[in-house]
Amino acid sequence: MGLGDAIVCQNLAKEYGGAKAVKALDDVSFSVAKREVFGLLGPNGAGKTTLVKIMATLLKATSGTAQVGGYDIDKEEGKVRSIIGYAGQDSERSAYFRLSVRENLVYFAHALRDVPIDAVKERISLVASAIGFSDRLDRHFIALSGGEKQLVIVMRAIMHDPEVCFLDEPSKSLDPVTARNVRTFLKSYAQEHGMTMLLTTHNMKEAEESCDRLAFINHGRLQFLGTPSEFKKRVTVKEIIEIGVPKLDGNVESKLLKIEGISNMTNEPNVRLYCDDAFKALSEVLAVLSSEGLKVPVRMVEPSLEDAFAFFLENDEAR
Amino acid sequence: MASPLKLFYMAVWREILTLTRYKANFVFEILTSLLFAFGMLVFAVAFDVSVLGQTVGSTNYVAFVTLGLSFQSWQGIALWNAAGRFQGELSTGQIDYTFSCPFSRYWYVTSNIAASAILSILFFAPMLSVGLWFTKETITMEGLLLGLVATLVSVASLAQLGTVFASLVLRYRQVTAVFGFFNFAFQILTGMLVPFQLLPLPLRVIGYGMPQTFGMDLLRYYAMRTKPIMPVEYEWISLFAQLAILSLLAKLAIVYLERTAKEQGLHYI
Repeated sequence: MGLGDAIVCQNLAKEYGGAKAVKALDDVSFSVAKREVFGLLGPNGAGKTTLVKIMATLLKATSGTAQVGGYDIDKEEGKVRSIIGYAGQDSERSAYFRLSVRENLVYFAHALRDVPIDAVKERISLVASAIGFSDRLDRHFIALSGGEKQLVIVMRAIMHDPEVCFLDEPSKSLDPVTARNVRTFLKSYAQEHGMTMLLTTHNMKEAEESCDRLAFINHGRLQFLGTPSEFKKRVTVKEIIEIGVPKLDGNVESKLLKIEGISNMTNEPNVRLYCDDAFKALSEVLAVLSSEGLKVPVRMVEPSLEDAFAFFLENDEAR
Repeated sequence: MASPLKLFYMAVWREILTLTRYKANFVFEILTSLLFAFGMLVFAVAFDVSVLGQTVGSTNYVAFVTLGLSFQSWQGIALWNAAGRFQGELSTGQIDYTFSCPFSRYWYVTSNIAASAILSILFFAPMLSVGLWFTKETITMEGLLLGLVATLVSVASLAQLGTVFASLVLRYRQVTAVFGFFNFAFQILTGMLVPFQLLPLPLRVIGYGMPQTFGMDLLRYYAMRTKPIMPVEYEWISLFAQLAILSLLAKLAIVYLERTAKEQGLHYI
């Protein structure tokens, strides 16, 4: 473990069940530096939640070791718990329904996290004001929408100013504007308070905007570790030509696919042609469209994280 | 790490808020306790007390049963409250958050039981008052205090068993049938509703191992001057021995079962 590392996992593996054991994690190793915002990407059932739960001391790994804040998650679980914050997946029901948001936060932070009551009250005001929640602090938890409940769960995770925070799909159930506000808040909070944050997400925008580094995990195996831009660069198809319509006539599509250098085509949300050299292929694409009498917008785009995600997934399935 | 005292008073605060916000339930909780107390007063007129006189040395069956029922209100909290809380937390997913926090699981469970027991005084107090009214000829202040101490020690022992049951929920998730089995045993084999001395010997042997048996017997002895099921000194020793043994068992159970539950995760199945 390096001096600057907040999280270190070494050869972590996890199997569920007995005779028909399911391997949820397979030899996963990585580290997260202090103050880093680290994203865990992967499809459903990839092993992201299992990994987070192991590091949050909620689940025992079958083999391997991990340290959080320098403490061993098995041998020093009490110390790990005292420095972490945690917001699990599907937590929208995980507070006291008939208590207000404020009362819930006071209970969890003061009773279970031992934060002095005055400090709790101060932090509730600070955090709620930063994410625009001050006007709903005295509403009962049951009266909140799903997205609002999720916000309370995120607030609860940082209420005691943890050194390391684990957030399992924090923007789930949030509308795009609120999700962006929460992302912005968490990122700046982590920077200002020196908090290390590990979040799992399917949301590529969230990963791109929030994370300093990413890990892509599928079938319990770590498949990529690096920055969001490095992740995108790993896509073998370097460039994309996007045609501003959702679908083209089958005849036109087959002509476009015959152009040299174009390897693939998708049509969600718009038609996308994947190629090694978009500049070179562009004139031929325009010629085909023109010959068919189609006057539609055409542009060259960079592969997004979403493309990279799909690429990794397809490559892994093909293996 | 949060202290046991803080876990306790914050749980009381949370329970009071919650209780008063389910208004219909709150009102009916009070009404039910008054109804039971009134029912016992009416019952007093009709009951043939000769059998009771022969076995426990008192013909005051109303006091006998009322003290038993008041005891039962605490017994229910001590035994099942923590298990119910864990089951609720498992189904809402809250347990993941609470178990990521740095506090003693043992003190968390017992503090929550104690908090609920405080609130169940709503039921306990009217029933106990009726029971004591019927014992006014035999009870003394010293007897009342000793009876209450015996009750508290006995309930504390039961809370340890409740902690074991809560731990079973962590490990096995659905244990309703286990509750049903023990609940029956606790009500019948401890002399709560029928005199302990009337039970066949094999059942009495099991009853001696249950904390309620001596707690309730001492409460009745001090309040009603009933015949104790064994010399009171032995009953006190047994009561404290049970508390010590069950406390140890509860601590071991919660540590062991949390560890094994972590093999599969703490979610509800």
